[in-house]
Amino acid sequence: MVKKKNPLKSFGFFLLVLAIVAFSIFPFVQMLSLSLKYQWDWGNPSLIPRKINLEAYKELLNIGQDLKNVPESVLTLLEETPELTSQQRAAILAKYQSTGEVFPFLRYFGNSLLLSLSAALFSVCLAIFGAYSFSRLRYRGRSVIQRGVLFVYMFGGILLLIPLYRLFASMGLLSTPTGTFFGLLVVYMVQTLPVSLYMLGNYFRTVPFSLEEAAMLEGASRMGIIMKIIIPLSASAIATVYIYSFMIAWNEYLFASVFLKNYKMLYTLPIGLKTLFVSKNAIWDRIMSASMLTAVPVMALFMSIQNKITGGMAAGGVKE
Amino acid sequence: MRELKIRKPALPHDQQPIVLAGMNARALREQRFGWALVFPSVFIILALILYPVVYNIYLSFFEFKLTGDNIFVGLRNYLGVITDSEFHLAVRATLVYVVFSTVGTTLLGLGVALVMNKKFPLRSFVRSLILLPYVAPVISVVFSWQFIFDPVNGIFMDVFHNKLGLFAERFSLIGSPDTAIWVAILFGIWKNFPFTYLMILSRLQAIDETLYEAAEVDGASGWQKFKSITLPEVYFVVSALILLRVIWNFNKFEEVYLLTSNVKVLSVYTYLKAFTGTMDLGQGSTLAVLQFVILIGFILFYVKKVLKW
Repeated sequence: MVKKKNPLKSFGFFLLVLAIVAFSIFPFVQMLSLSLKYQWDWGNPSLIPRKINLEAYKELLNIGQDLKNVPESVLTLLEETPELTSQQRAAILAKYQSTGEVFPFLRYFGNSLLLSLSAALFSVCLAIFGAYSFSRLRYRGRSVIQRGVLFVYMFGGILLLIPLYRLFASMGLLSTPTGTFFGLLVVYMVQTLPVSLYMLGNYFRTVPFSLEEAAMLEGASRMGIIMKIIIPLSASAIATVYIYSFMIAWNEYLFASVFLKNYKMLYTLPIGLKTLFVSKNAIWDRIMSASMLTAVPVMALFMSIQNKITGGMAAGGVKE
Repeated sequence: MRELKIRKPALPHDQQPIVLAGMNARALREQRFGWALVFPSVFIILALILYPVVYNIYLSFFEFKLTGDNIFVGLRNYLGVITDSEFHLAVRATLVYVVFSTVGTTLLGLGVALVMNKKFPLRSFVRSLILLPYVAPVISVVFSWQFIFDPVNGIFMDVFHNKLGLFAERFSLIGSPDTAIWVAILFGIWKNFPFTYLMILSRLQAIDETLYEAAEVDGASGWQKFKSITLPEVYFVVSALILLRVIWNFNKFEEVYLLTSNVKVLSVYTYLKAFTGTMDLGQGSTLAVLQFVILIGFILFYVKKVLKW
């Protein structure tokens, strides 16, 4: 059907799209801009820095920081005494580094990554089998499980926080760093499991049953069907659910702040950043570049498989 | 306009009735296999979600520390919470937050979905750009928002005080509880509208194009098409999204607490009560129970009065 285009209307539509985009991305633009500004430039409302400042990024990523705080006299001393072993040299230099002031971004980043990757992995693996079970197989109690999964949506983190904290503490789990890390991992897995079960269950229902029937006639087992038909056909949905679970764990603050209170080494990015913000080291360029570096991995991950994800999400509604 | 007929599809395989009597060997095997597959998930959810919830209710009648014995105090925690005026403020703040952020998120999501359903250049790029607020970690965007509303350097005050002269002086919008809640609501809308938009958009794309073509032949206006075709088609997904959003925003912690310390919704209030200062874990668990009860009440009200199920 051919429609006449009203230029005024298309211009209005264009403005509308522009407004939506501006609203969505302005805080990101602000973040990027401020992370690159010098202190004297903060009051300048323009988003383009007058002079680019990369110091904050270098500091966070630990680039060129080795000799920054070392006094001149010590450096000359080191040069004049070549008989020192490299270990001794490192020990002397280490004294002047990491006085606890610098934000150990890379460590927090690693903690967050390890926790989120493994929690999402466990959650998705369990959910594939669980979701297949209640979306395809027929047995008594199935609908109870299906509805129960939805019911779990109603429990907020705060409702689980105190009892789980108390339970883990009385089990002695929170008295060692490893135990605490494990406890947090389990919490993240549990928090993402219902979502994973629900989303995958919905998707598996859209995979045509005739495919499975055909495979069964050829003698494939149920397990074989899951491995060879369901998982490959649902790859995009599984990726979506994995990323979704990863993001939930990557974002989590509530449990991390309570569980990890006494283990600074185990801090994840959200608590690390919050601690930085209330500390005396809080300056806007450092906070904003840390924010950028926290956001970029997730956003890049999302963008790289974005078509698959939105396709996967949409397919759940489109297919019969 | 022609009446629209919706085909009732045959029951899919998984919804066909279960025949229990005379169950054959295959069905029995299927039953056992089904349970075996779902058991780990069910066990974990029971042990680490349902049991803690019940344990939390139990704990709400006790006074306790992190380790050591529980001391039974009966209803003292409940009395303490209910007579606390800060609790009343927290309930009110939560209701305001939930209602306005849910309405805002849903309306904006619906509007954006309608816009993105039209064809225009660079559409797929724009579509992915506007998903960013939802994708970005909360902690990474709160500081940027705080800077925008910063009284000294922030762009908001620059525009509304310096350029437009709407405010007589620069002040911190996030600084006082009265105004901070509106910033928190706006932040919540900004953060979550992409999810709503995406869900509604995928439903919009599933609408049969021929319905609109038929309506155009009948001379229906844009508004009529929206009211008679689009709205009924998205009605279910929108009401489900509202219900989910209410539940999620009611329990929201990060998006409020990390943005501002001045908005004490129930989750934040409970957190502060249980984990800062005197660390009153007993009253904390009582608060968590009450929050859950209020949520259930809200949901029942919504389902009965709004959805009329």
